[in-house]
Amino acid sequence: MIELRNVHKKFGSRVAVSDLTLSVPRGEVFGLLGHNGAGKSTAIGMMLGQVWPTSGEVRLCGHDVTAHRARALHKVGAIFEAPAFYDYLSGWRNLEILSHYTAPTSKERIREVVDWVGLTGREMSKVKTYSHGMRARLALAQALLPQPELLILDEPGSGLDPEGIAEMRETIVRLHRELGLTILLSSHLLSEVEQLCTRIAVLNKGRKVFEGLIADVKAARGRVMLKTPDFAAATKLLNERGLICGTVDGKYISLKDGRTTTEVVSALVNAGVAVEGIWQQDQTLEDFYLSIVKKPPPVPGSN
Amino acid sequence: MFFAQLKNELWKLFGKKRTYIGFGAFIFAQTLMLMAFKLTRWQSDMERMLSGNGYIPMEFISALTVALVMLMPQIILLMPLYVSLVGGDMVAKETEDGTLRMILSRPISRVRLLLVKWIAGIIFAVVLVLALGVMAVGLASLLFPWKGLFVFIPGQAFSVLPADVGSARFLLAHLFLAVNASAVLSIAFMFSCFNMKPAAATILALSYLFVNLVMEGIPFFDRYENWFITHHFKCWLLVFSDPIPWAQIFESETLLLAACASVFILGATAFHVRDIKS
Repeated sequence: MIELRNVHKKFGSRVAVSDLTLSVPRGEVFGLLGHNGAGKSTAIGMMLGQVWPTSGEVRLCGHDVTAHRARALHKVGAIFEAPAFYDYLSGWRNLEILSHYTAPTSKERIREVVDWVGLTGREMSKVKTYSHGMRARLALAQALLPQPELLILDEPGSGLDPEGIAEMRETIVRLHRELGLTILLSSHLLSEVEQLCTRIAVLNKGRKVFEGLIADVKAARGRVMLKTPDFAAATKLLNERGLICGTVDGKYISLKDGRTTTEVVSALVNAGVAVEGIWQQDQTLEDFYLSIVKKPPPVPGSN
Repeated sequence: MFFAQLKNELWKLFGKKRTYIGFGAFIFAQTLMLMAFKLTRWQSDMERMLSGNGYIPMEFISALTVALVMLMPQIILLMPLYVSLVGGDMVAKETEDGTLRMILSRPISRVRLLLVKWIAGIIFAVVLVLALGVMAVGLASLLFPWKGLFVFIPGQAFSVLPADVGSARFLLAHLFLAVNASAVLSIAFMFSCFNMKPAAATILALSYLFVNLVMEGIPFFDRYENWFITHHFKCWLLVFSDPIPWAQIFESETLLLAACASVFILGATAFHVRDIKS
């Protein structure tokens, strides 16, 4: 459904997205992660034909967005962070206005979508009287009107309270289960992404630094907490023995591939370094995300 | 679809309270002008001028004459200001508010979106000019009879016309005023298509008109007057001449319409190549 091939975008001399290749197949819930300014919104802008790529190819639903934007976006819905509407008009009028930019939309279809998102009874009120949650529902309604096959969600949980975030999460699950939509979700809420997405890509400073299955991320070995009277000396020793590849926050170590905590304990005890505790931590998406966007600091004594 | 989109653009435009505040401001200004004409020496000065030129003042101090007097400052000052405000808002305000990003996630082409918006803007400009004329005549009719039309603009126009001819010319003048308003709107609309705030688009459009006006007033530029858009804006006054200089009007109107089309194409080109970001 989404294909980005070697996409590059520069704003003046600043590189916003560099050599991004991405593929989201039909039916997937795909998470796009990255810090502020990592290039997520620029990438989404290029998918929607709002930002022109400097080079590379962007295809949606099989059509080149740059050359055939109308065809590419015909079955696409999008929701942005802080959705904007014509506040002085009713929710219904907003839906009419926005839907007519895609295709003629019947009153029955608008009614159906208003019911689906749970705005019935308030659709004729002016949008300026809507709460944040209602605006989020209206945003969802406008995205669903063209009966999309692909839904692009750019920070949809931004500004929502915990109840709103839970509702948003349930809605995304419903969209995927009941309507069978392919969903691209860009979010800072790592726990939401972890619960909703089947696959993720992580952007860092405009570059893709990871793409893979959430299941693989969770299965990957996490960091190890090491409790010892002299953490710096212990990690220096472990590094010299080739057992670890980095440390985090002065209390965690990252084991080299194939190395075990037993070997670490053995090496430390044999060298006369006391070990007060050591345990493997389960890796959350947050751990994984931080581990790849924040390079671990060099181990003392290593070059 | 095109007409549905146009209807929606008009909803957006006429659904705003600000639109009507503008119309209200015009009524207020016209009422002030009417009171000033009635209660100061303005009316007696005009009567003296008419009698000094051999006309019976009571035949020409009429609703039409006073309506034109009321319209004059509005056409020169308020109308360009208000139309520039609306034109400058049309794209830039949607960019600023974020609604443009919502629209551009839809499969509508940027050129078509701009075309629909521009036509809605032109309709607004025409409605505004017609409303100004109707309001002026309506208010003036409350205090003055329906008689002949006297037009006097120092150095530009001096005409005395019977009521039937005067009212037809008054109507015709509004057609050309609508073209003027459309040209002002198109200039502001063009700036609005660039990456700038709505206020900046309005100020740039007004500055462009102001620079034209100032340069046109400098004797050195007399031979280049055809290059100044404000020179062509004056052609609406020519309909009050006898006979009407149609060739000159045609030339000016053609230039104004071409200017409208040119600035639209410029704006659309700039809009098409720019990136729309949050």
